[in-house]
Amino acid sequence: MSATTATPGTEPGAIDLGSTTPVPMSRLAAVELRKALDTRAGRWFAVAILGLVLAVEVIYAFAAPDDALDFEDFLGVAGGVLGYFMPILVIMLVTSEASQRNGLVTFTLEPRRPRVVVAKFLAGFALAIAVMVLASLIAVLGTFVGIAAGASPEWSVDGNILFNGFVLANVVGVLIGFAIATLLMNTPAAIVGYFAYSLILPIAVGILGSLSSGFADVAPWIEFNTAQVPLFTGDYTPTGEEWAQIAVSGTIWLVIPLVLGIARLLRIEFK
Amino acid sequence: MIRVQGLTKTYGAFTAVDDVSFEAQPGRVTGFLGPNGAGKTTTMRVMVGLTTATSGEVTIGGHHYRDIPNPGRHVGVLLDASAQHAGRTGREILTIGARTMGLPTSRVDEMLELVSLDDREAKRRLRNYSLGMKQRLGIAHALLGDPSVLILDEPANGLDPAGIRWMRGLLKGYADRGGTVLLSSHLLNEVELIADEMVLIGRGRIVARGDKQSLLAGTDHQSTHVTSLDNELLATVLTDRGVTVAAAGQGLRVEAPPVEVGRAAAEHAVVLTDLRAAEGGLEDLFLSLTADTQRDTQRDTQRDTQPDTQRDVLEGFPS
Repeated sequence: MSATTATPGTEPGAIDLGSTTPVPMSRLAAVELRKALDTRAGRWFAVAILGLVLAVEVIYAFAAPDDALDFEDFLGVAGGVLGYFMPILVIMLVTSEASQRNGLVTFTLEPRRPRVVVAKFLAGFALAIAVMVLASLIAVLGTFVGIAAGASPEWSVDGNILFNGFVLANVVGVLIGFAIATLLMNTPAAIVGYFAYSLILPIAVGILGSLSSGFADVAPWIEFNTAQVPLFTGDYTPTGEEWAQIAVSGTIWLVIPLVLGIARLLRIEFK
Repeated sequence: MIRVQGLTKTYGAFTAVDDVSFEAQPGRVTGFLGPNGAGKTTTMRVMVGLTTATSGEVTIGGHHYRDIPNPGRHVGVLLDASAQHAGRTGREILTIGARTMGLPTSRVDEMLELVSLDDREAKRRLRNYSLGMKQRLGIAHALLGDPSVLILDEPANGLDPAGIRWMRGLLKGYADRGGTVLLSSHLLNEVELIADEMVLIGRGRIVARGDKQSLLAGTDHQSTHVTSLDNELLATVLTDRGVTVAAAGQGLRVEAPPVEVGRAAAEHAVVLTDLRAAEGGLEDLFLSLTADTQRDTQRDTQRDTQPDTQRDVLEGFPS
């Protein structure tokens, strides 16, 4: 039994907190990481993402023209596939607290909610980094498959694709997942919301853009997916204006939802 | 100890908890009793910081819950045994708790053993657990950090009679070692079996508190269930003394304390085969105290002669 002291002067049953240290952030984050992978849904989703990356890489090795079989290209393909599905892993990690109701326990064991939010961010990023490293290894594998198929690839990697197309795009993906998850706090709704955002929205914007050239000029400023295209195409280096578009549309679709979502997570009554 | 002071929680125009004050002392099991929707869960949620109070406060061992570092080591909480990821195994749920609190994995095994969940059961996923197994797991989770205070919401719900007896032993032992236990229930029988003290709540207000004796001391009309070899004679004798007698099952229900019924039987040499205070004692009190606060209007007017229907009323509240 933990310290129930009956020292004179204090009320009976007073709890002495002197010897108790708060739960360190590293431990909270490690627990959150474990929670992301300890269910069938989480574990198999992670495995499925990597399997999908592998499948796409192999298909790419045979389908792509010989001059596009450099390691860089494979890395770009892996990053693209990951960017699509990483956010869902994060969504499940966050929304399960409400959908599966284990938030009751999570926020009882750590009632200082901002700490849980930070722990989930750290876990989400650790997961993203691990999956990115594995995907890079798959890209190496893909490049070898390309060699087997007759290509003579370039192994050097441009820093821009590594940072912009691979790391930055996935970091944005993790944050988008967080924003949608905290705003909706419901697993199916958040996944549907994510696909609406990442699939339907760019298509709608594309159609509108093809109908009106005026809209096509405005689109990158107000639609985050469109704005991000320069990150993983061409020379992977957005121009100053393109960075500005990323910043503006990112504020609309990422920063504001994220702030609102986290504010909600801090206040919501977990039932 | 747990101290609730002037706690009020409103949701818009609805007052879930209305100026509630009570204490749960160390070394005692305190039962928090009331019909569904009376405010028990809301009060307990405020205790552990899941819900913010509109006014008033709760301290546990002199601290606000939010100020307790690594609270699982001091306060064991079970609010809803089903509120866990359905896809995790029982062992995994405890492991996550133990990791968060910084406890060794051996603690998980100890707790599984304490609540009699065997290896095979611990490996099953929560969605395949019966309610009783979930409650055992939830109690194991609450006890993981070896806390000095336990807050349990409806812990006996879903347990079979043997399970309730087991829990009574567990909680009594825990309180005897100096722990503070607060447990809620909407079933009087459960609380009566387990708790040393009771706090009765109805529609967000405390309607009575104290131990069983002091709660019953205030009720003057006592009644008795009696069965004898000659019920007819006994009924006549008692009626002659001006006592109300009614047939109830195999015996009689008498509106007099057992001692008077026994004396009458002895004087007339009637052999008694069963004599006990009518079990409706506390139940009557509970129902009368919460009568004006209950959502069901008093539909059974004959409840004095039909103790069993009272329990139906008590258990049959919509959740």
